[in-house]
Amino acid sequence: MPSWQDFQPFIVTGLALGGVYALSGVGLVVLYRATGVVYLAFGAVGAMGALIAWSVTNAHVQAWVGWLACLLFSGAVTLGYGMLFGPALSKRDPLVKATATLGLLLVLFGLMDLLWTTSGGQSRAITLPTDNSGFIIGQIQVTWTQVIGLAAGFAITAVTGAFLRYTKLGTAMRAMANDREITATLGVPVRRVEAAAWLGCGLLAGLAGLLLADMVALDATTLTFLVISALAAALIGRLRSITLTLAAAIVIGLVQNLLVPIPSLSNYNDMTPFVLAATALLVLSRRHVIARSREET
Amino acid sequence: MIEVKDLTVRFGGVTSLDSMNVTFEPGTCGLIGPNGAGKTTFFNVLSGFVRPASGSVRAFGDDLLSVVHFRRARWGLRRTFQTEQAIEDLSVYDNVAIVHEHARQRGTARRRDVLDAISFAGLDVDPHAKVGTLGAGQRRLVELARAVVGRPKLVLLDEPAAGLPDEETRNLADVIGRIPSRTGALTILVDHDMSLVSACCQTTAVLDFGRLIASGPTAEVLRDEQVTRAYLGTADVT
Amino acid sequence: MLDTADARTGGRRQFRLRRPGPGTLVRAAVVTGLLLILLFAAPALLSAYYVDSMTQVAVYAMLAIGLGLLVGRVGLVSLGQIAVFAIGAWVTARLLFATSQPYPLVLLEAGASTMAVGTLVGLPALRLRGLYLALITLMLAGAFSIVLATTNFPNGGHGFLGYNGSSVHIPPIRRPSIATTDPAYFRYAVAVAALMFALVYAHIRTRPGRAWIAIRQSEPAAIAAGINTTMYKLWAFALASFITGVAGGIYAGAVHFLYSIDFPAQDSIILLAVVLMGGVYSMWGAIVAALLLQLLPALLNDWGVSADWLTILFGVGVLQVLTTAPAGLADQVPKDLARLGRLILRSTGPRHRQGVSEHDRG
Repeated sequence: MPSWQDFQPFIVTGLALGGVYALSGVGLVVLYRATGVVYLAFGAVGAMGALIAWSVTNAHVQAWVGWLACLLFSGAVTLGYGMLFGPALSKRDPLVKATATLGLLLVLFGLMDLLWTTSGGQSRAITLPTDNSGFIIGQIQVTWTQVIGLAAGFAITAVTGAFLRYTKLGTAMRAMANDREITATLGVPVRRVEAAAWLGCGLLAGLAGLLLADMVALDATTLTFLVISALAAALIGRLRSITLTLAAAIVIGLVQNLLVPIPSLSNYNDMTPFVLAATALLVLSRRHVIARSREET
Repeated sequence: MIEVKDLTVRFGGVTSLDSMNVTFEPGTCGLIGPNGAGKTTFFNVLSGFVRPASGSVRAFGDDLLSVVHFRRARWGLRRTFQTEQAIEDLSVYDNVAIVHEHARQRGTARRRDVLDAISFAGLDVDPHAKVGTLGAGQRRLVELARAVVGRPKLVLLDEPAAGLPDEETRNLADVIGRIPSRTGALTILVDHDMSLVSACCQTTAVLDFGRLIASGPTAEVLRDEQVTRAYLGTADVT
Repeated sequence: MLDTADARTGGRRQFRLRRPGPGTLVRAAVVTGLLLILLFAAPALLSAYYVDSMTQVAVYAMLAIGLGLLVGRVGLVSLGQIAVFAIGAWVTARLLFATSQPYPLVLLEAGASTMAVGTLVGLPALRLRGLYLALITLMLAGAFSIVLATTNFPNGGHGFLGYNGSSVHIPPIRRPSIATTDPAYFRYAVAVAALMFALVYAHIRTRPGRAWIAIRQSEPAAIAAGINTTMYKLWAFALASFITGVAGGIYAGAVHFLYSIDFPAQDSIILLAVVLMGGVYSMWGAIVAALLLQLLPALLNDWGVSADWLTILFGVGVLQVLTTAPAGLADQVPKDLARLGRLILRSTGPRHRQGVSEHDRG
């Protein structure tokens, strides 16, 4: 069994990753509540954004231009998808809407491999200026990037919570989560609210993509499927509570990383989000009685 | 007969059925009430889709609530739904036969029972025709055929004439009226169409806010002041 | 397209004995003809490269019909079929290395194991609503892929896992004694696939098939009709898992060597995509899906085009199917061809009269 000291650096990485999972999870939850779509392409969009940022930097342009490009790309693609396919699918089952986003995932996945093929064995990396500076707590080294990761998770959760509760747009989003049709009849500009949700989620995807590319790896497959960790947190939050999503995300990040120094479990640490999400889903299902009859009284 | 005692159903903060107490006599009974009164919830309890917080239902001496939901058809429960549920991709024959085969009736009598039910419902179509090709009125008749096939004990009809024009509603009323005499089943009819209820039901119960507010012979109940008030509301309080 | 109206013998006067109509006979003839061509003519006509691809088509046709059964007949989306596929391959390899059982028996055992796994997963999972069921299969498949990456596939080693990490000479997975060459194995694969399709067909035309249709239409109405929906959904899960496991077994014999990187998580997504595109309501859809998945990449590879274009195509395909043509290509293409046919007829002169065909309702 490793010592406390062996665990320490993994607490930091766990918290940092957890923070990024949290901001991703919050994005997923808000979009789901506003549109009924579980945005499975979240990771893919962020991945491609990160690759675009890499290409920009690789072309010897200022780094911040790359980051901007990443955010613009993720925001635009997500908004575009939402405006193009949202209306056509708005009345369909959430399962259909989620499956449709898999279509977007495949398109992006194919594009990424086409444009940034990894068959040459070349590995890429994104580095942020905050990687190289940091401080020491006790015996642990902490980089500013990791602080940003964790802080962003908390900040986004707090800001989103305030936004949903105190602004007109946020209240409209909450109303739509309950019933899109009724909200529309109340005169709420439904399309505009949805557009805001899609755009916001897209921007978060870009941010998460950059941070994860920095912290984990700049690899299309890895980044695309890291959405599962965020999704796991969102599911534990029952696709409804952003504070629960935040808590779950931190736990997932911590557990996933704390397993690494334990030799017998190290190989299985990536199972953490899958196992936690599956358990959450099964526990959730106990509350439902029977498939709801679609009629009202 | 059906005895409902203290049936209570809660969904989150809403109490859909509030200590409902009612007895249904043999024959055809109407169940009416304003929207949200709990009529479909009551049917869902009988079907087994909703578990009540408390209360009991005794049907023909059996504790209905203790039967697993899909086994209630075998017990003798039949039901139609507010939105049409006849299976479009199957033929008329298969739609009715599916109830027969899963309610575990004897296979040898199946063909006869199914065709009898189809003709009872007054369906003058080729039994091989796919339900998807039929009109709305005929589809409702297919649902009625499904509701009477085999040996039903309790038939629940939830707005069977919804969306149908007057003539087809009259036709449906005629068929519904004959159900008890042909099958011996107790039939409960939920509907908003008062002429349909008057035409088919000897007795009627009225629900409002999940509680029974009136029950008795249909004509009397429909004249009851409390009932009119429940539907229309009044200007004064009390 | 499978017609689910049954022909029944009658006992009453108005209920005539229904002889199989011309449509059914034509379909039966086409299927038999295709099978004969595949079994006897194809291996001789195709190059070794394409015999190999067509063997994979047979394998993936089984995968596709399994998933199509779940999605189309019962309305359950599983994003974990590749994991089941991998388990089937794993069990087959393990048994083939450890025992000298005949191939068909090993395939049955592989199918039985995956059927058991599928049922075990299905039991708790089926209580979940559609979206959550899909997500939980995704999660379980993801967890499995990590376990697989660590345990690897059997390679002739000892112990339960049968994996020897330091093996220098890895024995190939054997093939059935009657089908050791590639063309012969291709025939074997086609025969097994045909058996699996027949098994599905037998289900569709009888009680479980009708029950599945009822469940797909409305689960509450099905329960009210006395259908034990949980059991029938489990049955679909079990059948689909069995077939997927057998497919894994055939795959093991086809490739001789199994690696965990051959079963990536995204393949489950791509499989769903092509099954949706091929069409989930018909058995031909599974064939279309398999061709899209294995023949098309082989062709593209031959012509020097990157397979990434296919991934993009499949993504677009999913979006198209879900927004406009829910029944998929297998339903859409015949309708489009029929429309094209009528257009041609119409343009060749006013002498030809057109009646309204049943395709016109499309």
